[in-house]
Amino acid sequence: MVEESRPSWENPMQFVLACVSYAVGLGNVWRFPYLCQMHGGGGFLIPYLIMLVVEGLPLFYLELAIGQCMRQGSIGAWSAINPYMGGVGIASVVVSIFLAVYYNVINAWAFWYLFHSFQGTLPWAECPLSSNLTTYVPECEKSSSTDYFWYRETLNISSSIEDHGGIQMGQALCLVLSWMVVYLCVLRGTESTGKVVYFTATFPYLVMIIYLIRGVTLHGALNGLKYMFTPKLSDLADPKAWIDAATQILFSLGLGCGSLIAFASYNHHNNNFEKQAIVVSLINSATSIFASLVTFSIYGFKATFNYESCLDRMQLLLINTFDLAEDSIKNNNLDDWISHLNASFPDKFATISSQIEGCDLESELDTAVEGTGLAFIVYSEAIKNMGLSQLWSVLYFSMLLMLGIGSMLGNVAAIITPLRDSAFLTRHFQKETLIGMMCLFCCLVGLSFTTRSGNYWFTIFNDYAATFSLLFIVLIEIIAVCYVYGLKKFEKDIEVMIGHRPHWYWKIIWSVISPVLIIGLFIFYIADYIMGGTPTYQAWDANLGKTVTKEHPPFAQAVIGLLLVTSMMCVPLVALITFIKKKKEQARESKISTTAS
Amino acid sequence: MLARVLLALSLVPALALALCQPDGQDAYKVRLSIKTALGANAYEWNESEQFLFRATLAFAMRKYTGQETFNVSSVIVCDETPRVSFWFVVTNPNDTATLIPKNAVEEAIRLSRNRINSAFLLSDKTLQFLGIPPTLAPPSQPSLPVWLIVFGVVMGIVTTGILALIISGFIQRKKKDIEDEDEEEKQEGIMENGISCETLEGKEGVNNGAYSHDEDRLTQL
Repeated sequence: MVEESRPSWENPMQFVLACVSYAVGLGNVWRFPYLCQMHGGGGFLIPYLIMLVVEGLPLFYLELAIGQCMRQGSIGAWSAINPYMGGVGIASVVVSIFLAVYYNVINAWAFWYLFHSFQGTLPWAECPLSSNLTTYVPECEKSSSTDYFWYRETLNISSSIEDHGGIQMGQALCLVLSWMVVYLCVLRGTESTGKVVYFTATFPYLVMIIYLIRGVTLHGALNGLKYMFTPKLSDLADPKAWIDAATQILFSLGLGCGSLIAFASYNHHNNNFEKQAIVVSLINSATSIFASLVTFSIYGFKATFNYESCLDRMQLLLINTFDLAEDSIKNNNLDDWISHLNASFPDKFATISSQIEGCDLESELDTAVEGTGLAFIVYSEAIKNMGLSQLWSVLYFSMLLMLGIGSMLGNVAAIITPLRDSAFLTRHFQKETLIGMMCLFCCLVGLSFTTRSGNYWFTIFNDYAATFSLLFIVLIEIIAVCYVYGLKKFEKDIEVMIGHRPHWYWKIIWSVISPVLIIGLFIFYIADYIMGGTPTYQAWDANLGKTVTKEHPPFAQAVIGLLLVTSMMCVPLVALITFIKKKKEQARESKISTTAS
Repeated sequence: MLARVLLALSLVPALALALCQPDGQDAYKVRLSIKTALGANAYEWNESEQFLFRATLAFAMRKYTGQETFNVSSVIVCDETPRVSFWFVVTNPNDTATLIPKNAVEEAIRLSRNRINSAFLLSDKTLQFLGIPPTLAPPSQPSLPVWLIVFGVVMGIVTTGILALIISGFIQRKKKDIEDEDEEEKQEGIMENGISCETLEGKEGVNNGAYSHDEDRLTQL
C-alpha cells in the first residue's frame, strides 16, 4: 500500500505568496500608521528598520529553516528538534487556536460593511431619524453617524462587559460566512490554498495603489502627509518607540504561531528559503510603509474636512446669533470677529460661549487611532465624504477582507498541519472532515464575539492572547535551536538544504542579540503589567455618545490570566511529561535487562 | 377733524408695529440663507422679495383656514437684519387688532412648507422658521434589506464551491482506491521485503520511526 507523500506547493512562488499573504495583514494597515503617528512620524522608520534587520529577518529565516528541514507542523518539528521541546509546538498551536477564533470576527465585520456598501447612500453617512421624524436619534447626534453605525447598528454594543446581551444575528451570519470562506480555501490543503493566495496576496496591493492615487488627490491630504513625514527625532529618545518597533516587527511577521513552519514544511527539501525569507520580510515592511502613506493622506483629508466643518459651524453660529450678513465672516477672519463680538456684545456672546469650539487642524491630525476604530470608523468617515463613495467603500472593505483571509489561512494552516501529521487522526478522519470539524469548533466559539458585549471580549483577546505568549514562544524557540539542538547541527542542516552555511551575521543574531532583545521586551511587558494596575477597557456609553474607561471585572481578569497561562504552560508541562515518560521507560528497560541476565 | 384722521392714520402703522414684536407670543422668527443655498445665483433681498414672502404666507393661511380673506396686509414683518432674518405676525383679517395664535400659524406653514420653500428656491435648511422643526424625509426602506441579498448571493457561491470540492475529492479518492487495487494485483512480483519498489524511489522515503532522534536508545560509550 503506497503511503501518501506529503503535499507540496506547485511552485516556489505559491509559497512566497502564501507567506506574504499571511504576514501582510490588518496590522500593517491599522497598527503601523498609528505607531508612526505616536512616535514622531517619519522618525519611527529608524527603529523600525533597525529592528527588522536585527530581529525580524533572522527569526523569520529560523522558522522557515525549521519547517523546511523537519517537514512537519510545529508539534512534530519541535519534537524532532528535541523531545523535551515538543511543548513549544503545542503552545504555538494553542496560540493559533486563540488567534483563529477571534481574528475571523474581523472578517465578519468586513463582510458586514461590504454588504452594506451596496446602497444608494451609505448607511453610515446619515443618522437615522427618531420616531417622530423631526430629529435624529440622540445617540447619533451626540457622537457621529459613523460611530453610531459601528457601535449601534453593527455591534449593538452593551454598556459594559458584564452585560452579555444576545447574539446579534447579522454578525453571526457574517461570521458563519467567513468561516465557510476559510474552509473553502483550506479544504484541499496546499492544492487549494496555493491557488487562493495568488489572489489574496495581490489584490490588496491593487486596492492600495488605487487608494494612494485617490488619496493624494483629496483636498487636505497633503496636510496629513506633511504631518507624517516631518520627523520628530526627539521622540526616538523615548524607549517606548524602540519597544513598539520591536514588538511590531515580531507580531507583523507572524512569528511563533507555527504558520511559517507549517507553510515551509510543504516545501521541497532544497528550496532556497534564505532568499525567500529576505524577500518576504522586506515586502512586509514595505507594505507597512506604503499603507501608512495611504492612511495619512486619508487622515489629512478627514482632519481638513472636520476642521473646515468646524469653521463653518462657528461662522453660522455667529451670524445667526448676531444677525450679521451671510458672507461677512470668512475662515481667515473668524478669530478677529470672535474677539470683536466678545468685546462689543459681552452679554449676548456669553449665551453662546459654551458652543464656541476652537477649530484647530493640528489637534484633528493629532487624534491617533488604531485597530478596529481606524479601520471601521475613521476610514468609513473619510469614504462617506469622497465622491462615488459606494465604489470606494466596496474596494476598501474587499481589501480588508483579503488581508484578513490571507492571515487566517496562515493561522488555520498552523493548526491543521500538526493535526494532519498525527497518524492517529489521519487514519480515522478524512482530511475534509478534520478541517471541517476544526472550522466548526472555532466558529461556534467565535459566536461569543457576536454577542452585545462581544467587542469587549474581542479586545481582550486582541491585547492578550497572542502578545506575551508569542514573545515567550519565540524566546524558547531561539534557545532551543541555538543551545539545545546546537547551532553547529543547525548550520549543517541548512547547508544540506540550500548548499551553503548561513553567514556569521545570522549566527550572531540567533545566539546572542535576539535572545537579549526578546528578554528585554519580556521584562518591559512584565514591568508594564505590574505598574499598570487593574486592566481597563473602553466601554461605549450610549447616553454620552462616546467611550468611557472602565475596569475589568474579576472574571474578565481571570480570562486574561488564562489566556496568558494556557499557552505558556505547555512548554514546561510537556517537558515534564516527556521526562516522566523517559524515566518510566528506563525503569522498564532496566527491569527487562535484570530479568534477562 | 383732518388732524384726527391724520393722527388715526399714523397710528395704524404704529399699531401694526406694536403688534409685531420680536419674541412676541404669536410671532415667529424667519431666517434665510440665500447665499449658502444659491451661491453665485443668489438674489438680493429687497422690498419686493419681502412682499412675495408676505403674499406666500397669506396664501398659506388661506389654504389652511379655507378663508379667502387673508391678504398681504394681514402679515406684518418687523426687525429685519442684514442676516436676512426678521420676525412676523399674522393678524386676523376680520379684526386687525388681534393676532392669529401661534399653533394655527405653525400648522399653516407646515402644510404649505414645500410651496413656501419653492417660491424662494430654498429648502427647509436655508429658509428656517425658528421653532418649527422641518419634517425630515424618512429614508426609503426596501422590503428586504439589500445586504441580505448580497449576503445570500455570496453564501450561495461559497456553499456551491465547498460542495464541489468535497464531492470531487470524494470521487478522486474512490478512483484512486480502485486504481491502487489494480496496481497491487499487477505488481505482486516487484516487491522487496513487502515494500513496493516505487516508494523507495521517492525522495522523501518512508519515515522509519526506529531511527528517529531517540539517542538514549543507543548505548553510551
